[in-house]
Amino acid sequence: MTEVALVDAPAAPAWSRELARRLVDGGVEVAAWVPDKRLAPLAAELDAIGAEVRTLTREEECVGYAAGFRAAGGTPVVLMQCSGLGNAVNALSSLAVPYGLGFVVVLSMRGTLGERNPAQVPLGRTAVGMLSLLGIQSFSLRSPEDVTAVTDGALALADGAREVSAIVLEPELSLGS
Amino acid sequence: MNATSAVGAIVRAVPEALLVASLGTATSALRAATDDGPHLYLGGAMGSALATAVGVAEKRPERRVVAILGDGELLMGASSLWTLAGSRARHLTVAVLSDGHYSITGGQPLGVQPAFVEVAAALGLDAVRADTEGQVANALGGPEPCAFVEIRCDERDWPGPSPFVDPPIVRWRFEHAARA
Repeated sequence: MTEVALVDAPAAPAWSRELARRLVDGGVEVAAWVPDKRLAPLAAELDAIGAEVRTLTREEECVGYAAGFRAAGGTPVVLMQCSGLGNAVNALSSLAVPYGLGFVVVLSMRGTLGERNPAQVPLGRTAVGMLSLLGIQSFSLRSPEDVTAVTDGALALADGAREVSAIVLEPELSLGS
Repeated sequence: MNATSAVGAIVRAVPEALLVASLGTATSALRAATDDGPHLYLGGAMGSALATAVGVAEKRPERRVVAILGDGELLMGASSLWTLAGSRARHLTVAVLSDGHYSITGGQPLGVQPAFVEVAAALGLDAVRADTEGQVANALGGPEPCAFVEIRCDERDWPGPSPFVDPPIVRWRFEHAARA
């Protein structure tokens, strides 16, 4: 679709192609995101294999959109950088979580291993703890061989148990590819 | 008009529509006007109700969808107007209950220029103002409904029902209504 075709994404590494494939095979119809360099290959791959990619204006808007899409019977996923989690906390905690409108959030990490920007660090080191305080389970992806188990498991948790569940893309994933 | 009569006019114009109501006056008025019908009432997430309605509408393109928002709510999520303008969801109407105040927090003034229709129109949305129930019906009814209607509520009385809903029950009832 055109909006993602405009993205100047680097070639998708194998793990992101597999992650996109597992999401689509697991029923994901749409990905709501705010553009992020590290998520761009995943978004482009999702678009290429048939999921719609919706570029929205803010991460809390992605959460609202996904909650509505789920309430209407669909299967959305949200892609966001961990700094965007700060923008999305209220929508997660007062809409998606209490209403049982579960979906997978793919969270790309900044502010941790390899980070050189001091402004990224406070939310980076806080992100998983914030999710945990909200009762949202997060599952770290550090190695390509874990993509299938983590993605399938997070989708089951979101779909069946109605839980927002986070797949955390750790820096090692990119550093090792 | 007050909020309840405005929402009553919406419901009469599009009785089969899926309705999403923002926290506060919109939720209370929709509960009052529909005898607590199976709609997606938001008890929080202020600023996210329009995005939620866009998600509903893009999943269910065969259904009419109306987002019923307070004017304060619209301001808090105003960038979603850009999302709406870029959406293929031409079956979604945003109805703003415009009284110039944040009612749920105690009636403080918005303190901004109420240029809602002008902003929506600048984004290419078919946008109108409605001062009467008949104008509300005209904006929503018919084969080509407006994308945006600012409903001016000159009476600011609180609709009545609590805006604090039970989320799992709201979700369960709405999911069934959306599948019907």
